[in-house]
Amino acid sequence: MTQPSLWSRTGWFAAVALLVILLGTWLLFGRGRSPIQTDLLAMLPATERNPMAEVAAQQLAHANGDRVIVLVAHADDDHAKAAARELAQMLAKDKVFASVTAELPPFDLQQMITPYLAHRFTLLTDVDRQALAQPGYDPQQALAQRINEPFVTGIGVRLQDDPFGWLQHWLEQQPWSRSPLLPEDNLLTAHRDDRSYVLITATLHGSSYDDAIQRRAWSALDLAQGAIEHDHPGTQVLRTGALFYAASARSDAERDVHRVGLISTVGIALLLLAVFRSPGPLLLAFLSTAIGIVAAATASVLVFGQIYLLTLVFGAALLGEAVDYSIQYLTARANAGQAWEPRRGLRQVRPALLIALGTSLLGYALLGMVPFPALRQMACFAMVGMTVACLSVFFLLPALLRRPAKPLSGVSVRLAWALQRAITPLVSGWSGIALAALALLLAVPGWRQLHHDDDVHLLISPPAQLIAQEKQIRDVTGLGNGTQFYLVQGDNQEQVLQREEALEQRLQAMTDAGQLQGWLGLAGMVPSLQRQHANQALLAPLFAQPDRMRQWLHGAGFRDADIDRFIQAWPGTPLVLHDWLKTAVATPFRYLWMKGDEQHGSASLVLPQGDVSSDLLKQAAKDLPGVTLVDKAAGVSHLFGRYRHYASLWLLAAIMLIVPVFGWRYGWHSVPRVLAPPVFGMGFTLAALGYLHHPLTLFHWMALMLVLGVGANYAVFLREGEPYVTHRPGAMYASVLLSAITALLSFGLLAWSSMPALRDFGLTLLLGIGFTALLVPASVPSRNLSS
Amino acid sequence: MRGVNSLPTAKPLGRHSRESGNDRLLQMFIRCSVLALLLICFNAHAQSPDLLHSILNQLSQHTAVRANFTQQRQSPALTQPQISSGQLLFVTGHGMLWQVQQPYQQSLALTGTRALRIDAKGHMQLVHSERGVSQISQMLQGMLTGQLDEVTRQFDVRASGSASQWNLHFTPKQARMAQVLKGIQLDGGVYLQRIRIDTQDGMQTDIQMTDTHDAGPLNALEKQALGLP
Repeated sequence: MTQPSLWSRTGWFAAVALLVILLGTWLLFGRGRSPIQTDLLAMLPATERNPMAEVAAQQLAHANGDRVIVLVAHADDDHAKAAARELAQMLAKDKVFASVTAELPPFDLQQMITPYLAHRFTLLTDVDRQALAQPGYDPQQALAQRINEPFVTGIGVRLQDDPFGWLQHWLEQQPWSRSPLLPEDNLLTAHRDDRSYVLITATLHGSSYDDAIQRRAWSALDLAQGAIEHDHPGTQVLRTGALFYAASARSDAERDVHRVGLISTVGIALLLLAVFRSPGPLLLAFLSTAIGIVAAATASVLVFGQIYLLTLVFGAALLGEAVDYSIQYLTARANAGQAWEPRRGLRQVRPALLIALGTSLLGYALLGMVPFPALRQMACFAMVGMTVACLSVFFLLPALLRRPAKPLSGVSVRLAWALQRAITPLVSGWSGIALAALALLLAVPGWRQLHHDDDVHLLISPPAQLIAQEKQIRDVTGLGNGTQFYLVQGDNQEQVLQREEALEQRLQAMTDAGQLQGWLGLAGMVPSLQRQHANQALLAPLFAQPDRMRQWLHGAGFRDADIDRFIQAWPGTPLVLHDWLKTAVATPFRYLWMKGDEQHGSASLVLPQGDVSSDLLKQAAKDLPGVTLVDKAAGVSHLFGRYRHYASLWLLAAIMLIVPVFGWRYGWHSVPRVLAPPVFGMGFTLAALGYLHHPLTLFHWMALMLVLGVGANYAVFLREGEPYVTHRPGAMYASVLLSAITALLSFGLLAWSSMPALRDFGLTLLLGIGFTALLVPASVPSRNLSS
Repeated sequence: MRGVNSLPTAKPLGRHSRESGNDRLLQMFIRCSVLALLLICFNAHAQSPDLLHSILNQLSQHTAVRANFTQQRQSPALTQPQISSGQLLFVTGHGMLWQVQQPYQQSLALTGTRALRIDAKGHMQLVHSERGVSQISQMLQGMLTGQLDEVTRQFDVRASGSASQWNLHFTPKQARMAQVLKGIQLDGGVYLQRIRIDTQDGMQTDIQMTDTHDAGPLNALEKQALGLP
């Protein structure tokens, strides 16, 4: 390779890298909306085999996604209401909110009731239906009881329109009649625990997951909240909405990225500076790593359209592994001293780097096989990042670092040599085998204490304060939990409603038994035609002889004109779902209906209310055709559990994949020696986690996969590099330790991340890489040491 | 679970849409507001004017009373007044047992949270299963711990007469309730004697109580119906 060709390759590579960086910058910042995905639900895998269930879960999740719910509380009622009005006015001034609702619009009761009059003979409550079905039903007595009800009767629906009270009873049990919030002074208000709570809802002008919207809405709310807390001391403002969860997830992740990124960058820089004693190598190491990371981010956005927060934090940590290639090249150069020649140097390190890259890629490729969007993206990110970082070492560094370098700092080499000399005899020959056996014996009790945890919390753990506020809002307003629901499917609208009724009969039994607070479903608002006709059939005998009905009503004291109108209204028409969905009353419930297609038929959602176990809910749906319980959280936890189980097998598979590579390169008899450091490192890590009573999760296993990749790299680096540094014992191990410490500085910092998944990941890597780095001298036969 | 739950999904606040207002308010009113007023009257600690205070104080001496009642109702929808009569048992903080004897026989237990029908054999059956009434229960509990706030938020209260012969007028403050209710009047002396309820559709309900006396011990059925220990 001639000098010009070295330069031209570098030029080409630099040009391509520059283009990629420009593309990446545009993708990340140049477009209106940031591609950083703050919706944590988006990175959950599809858990449902039923495609409609997945769509339904999405529909439910986003039914309220762009809404903010605020509850203003104060011990003094007037203050609470004044504060709520003020808050609503302030929020309404900000254009980030499309609408802010506190004051209720004027309302005409009759306007709401009149459309129902046509359906008054087909809508019956369970209580009325049971009463009518009894053989001894006495219409005259029913009328007398109705018009003599204590205190008041027949308000809402006029008495003469509904002499028996059937429609009134039915309207009373509708969900909009059962909310704990009551209109007072035109505000929806609840009173409990000596406090008044006033509800305000606001709709965002855009998505809750939009960075700019998040910031504006959040600051507008903070500003308004500050103002009313100042004007009305003692005011408490509770708020909830996707906005807050998304924004807090983003700020947590940003803090993690900043902390991990900053500390590891500074740490790595200081370390490299100390070891190489010159700023040039440092800058080049970072340059090649940075190109890798930017290319990885660009590729992720190109492939996935967006970047998950998890990937971003993981990416910051990947810095520590990507910098290894530069480190190996730079140490080779430093160790060569005055004899350095770029082309020969490149040839010298190339096999080590390629084998290291190959094993890493194998590990990440396995990670990418998990059908889990977030993990796939992490794998893609890592594979692109590592490959590009490695290529940049091949193409960039030889041209830029042509002159020989200062040797590695003496202190670091002497330290490494001392350590290596201390470790090597221990791990060689019979003493090594004895020690391994002893270590295994010590590890067994730790392994026996291992247990596992697959809760979805691992991935999503919003701040306790947000959860507490949401819980309080749920308590006051009576809103239920939103992730468990039933999907009711049928060939057509009617079948769906009938199936819903079958389900709701069971749910009502559970409600009566106190196991459930209640449920929300369309069939309670629009019964199936079958049910409505059955209701009508129950009433039919009463209307069979109009004269008899006339006589009863007359006897009860109703006026003839009203009696005629009532009898003429029979039999009325059933309420049709399709028409009802278009009415204003239906607006808040429309999302419960899913427009079907020919392939999947129609479907609806039924939401159970109250904290109920998934098993109990599943029991309620048992043997009901077309009814499925969808429990996203339980589904994800189940999936975690399954993959955690498989992960141990994958790890074995990954080791099996590495064995032939090592066997081919180092000879079969050396394979155990080269493989021992990462394998034992993983074993000790598991034992340590067991002793720490740390429950194992999918993420621990993912981290162990990385430990295998990194650990194998170290063994490769040491074995490949040792023959070139015979003149400077310990120099190669020093370079491996340098790689290990940089990895610990970046991955290890994840152990302090705010995301539990990354915390587990970080802790495992911290232990795994630590153990492996200490064990890695075992990969070089001890006779090499004495030479 | 909680993790995903807390991602706000689902439950529509929209259900508190404008339609909800009046209907719920009606229920509150229909089922319980009179009961609530009665309860406050049997409760002391009113912070209102002296007369109101002494009336409430006087009524609160009697935590459980029995009386005979006659309810007369006139409605524009009906050609003649409806008259029913029977006995009632009122227990402060727990509710009321309303036993009609004429023109039919029926026992109702009206508590803050539900209305139960009790048949001749003592079996109880839920008449209305609506949950909105639980709100009323809270309102009742509030008043029973000495807070008139709940009532004064909903009504303007006017007291007249003397402690030995008084009347209290309740006029709805809230526009939505005023759409339905004109007013409530309570008359009494040592005990409550009369309740009169006027609604906007022209219906008048007049309940007279006679032979009012302290209840004495309650029997097992009464305790059960009112949820007493």
